[in-house]
Amino acid sequence: MVELVPALLRQELARLAEDNIRLDGRGQWEGREVDLEINCLYNAEGSAKVVMGKTIVYAGVKFELRTPWPDRPAQGSLMCSAELRPVAHRKYEPGPPSPESIELGRVVDRGIRESGCIDMESLCIVPGEKVWGVMIDIHVLSDGGNIFDACGLAAIAALRTAIVPAERFDVGEDYTLKVKGAPIMASFTRVGGRYVYDPSEEEELGGDERIHITLGDNGHLHSLQKGLRGVFTPAEFAEIFGVAHQRCTELRKLVALQEGN
Amino acid sequence: MAGYGDVKLLRDDGLRLDGRKLDEMRPVTIEAGILPAADGSAMVTQGLNVAVAAVYGPMEAHPRKIQRQDRAVIDVRYNMAPFSTSDRIRPGFNRRSREISKVTAEALESVVLVERYPRSKIRVEIEILAAEAGTRCAGLTAAAVALADAGIPMRDLLVGVASGKVEDIVVLDLDKAEDNYGQADLPVGILPNTGEVAFLQMDGDLSPDEFNLAMEYNFKAAAEIHVIMVDALKRRYEGGEK
Repeated sequence: MVELVPALLRQELARLAEDNIRLDGRGQWEGREVDLEINCLYNAEGSAKVVMGKTIVYAGVKFELRTPWPDRPAQGSLMCSAELRPVAHRKYEPGPPSPESIELGRVVDRGIRESGCIDMESLCIVPGEKVWGVMIDIHVLSDGGNIFDACGLAAIAALRTAIVPAERFDVGEDYTLKVKGAPIMASFTRVGGRYVYDPSEEEELGGDERIHITLGDNGHLHSLQKGLRGVFTPAEFAEIFGVAHQRCTELRKLVALQEGN
Repeated sequence: MAGYGDVKLLRDDGLRLDGRKLDEMRPVTIEAGILPAADGSAMVTQGLNVAVAAVYGPMEAHPRKIQRQDRAVIDVRYNMAPFSTSDRIRPGFNRRSREISKVTAEALESVVLVERYPRSKIRVEIEILAAEAGTRCAGLTAAAVALADAGIPMRDLLVGVASGKVEDIVVLDLDKAEDNYGQADLPVGILPNTGEVAFLQMDGDLSPDEFNLAMEYNFKAAAEIHVIMVDALKRRYEGGEK
């Protein structure tokens, strides 16, 4: 099954691509409807749930007190990790973190970290002694394609709702974590020879390489990643970069809308 | 379980701190078929607990050494999300989750008609997204609904419930404070139609009479939860979905 089905699927996707049609009827640059819920998990200091088609992911933020890294005594730390647990799909097996889940967590981590949306120095309590460690854990519950974008969105939305639990740790009063802007990811997969935005599960199974672009509020790039086997041209990149800009702007509005409610 | 008799868990009016009666369980909601990638799934909330279960299979049993010639094996993984508790849990299996996974699998193997699927495996994934005492029971209930949602034949819909003891009084369905400072906890998995028990654990201190009362509470609650489970499955399928 593992080899045969994708081969047939590839044929079908290639055939559809000739007329620029997608298996689920979407346009080439059209995303699935995104449902974002924030502050949905008790016990997490910040949380978000993202549903995109058959994809469901949760992100939760936790804080811990730790000693700072010796080379950055006045800075807190940020860690973002993703788990592809067997609950999410029959293709995921139990065991230590897979290369796929490590890549996923690190790509999301880079987008958030490099955007500078968190002022690491604001996480310092006593320089050289005590700082906050912020941990974003992403839990994929159902992999229906394009978990990268879902994870990126859940992570930043969760972070933006986070309350620093200072009272519980006896270091002052609770306060809202200051997050400047919202880095958003847009992902593309080559399907039937051309790129499509927000690939579905079938498009990923019968597709080729993928490109993930994370953009900040000002449209600047904060993380890029190419995954899987395949090559692309600068012209192709220029095209998807333009699309990414539009889609990221829309998703950023969605985050703001949810926060306004 | 460590008993801390000096923490007050019952109010002067005889009710519990959250206002529940002694034999009153926390509100339970159940939804079936919530995970599109899974063959069957369910979400159970009980008080502030959130448990999600996914079922994959029956499928070929791997690795081969776990295969049984005469029946299916059920492979359960109970896992708490890192953000499910007040202090973050390091991802990965620990001794507690391994034990719960094992006894949950054995309980489910007692109700699923495993003889129908020789040499195969049924994967049951239980994920706790929010924990407030009683997650193994919520997980067990979610697993049963997910198995039914996956169309896997069972003798009964297994229900997870727990009773315990606080301030020398038997109470149904311990919450976080009662679990931390109470004197006993008795989680069970009940087959509501046959009145049998497929899952049993206990820690703490219970007299024989207290045990009997706790079990009486558990059976009563199991009947109530069973109604909610059946209702969730009806809602899932009556609309002609799937």
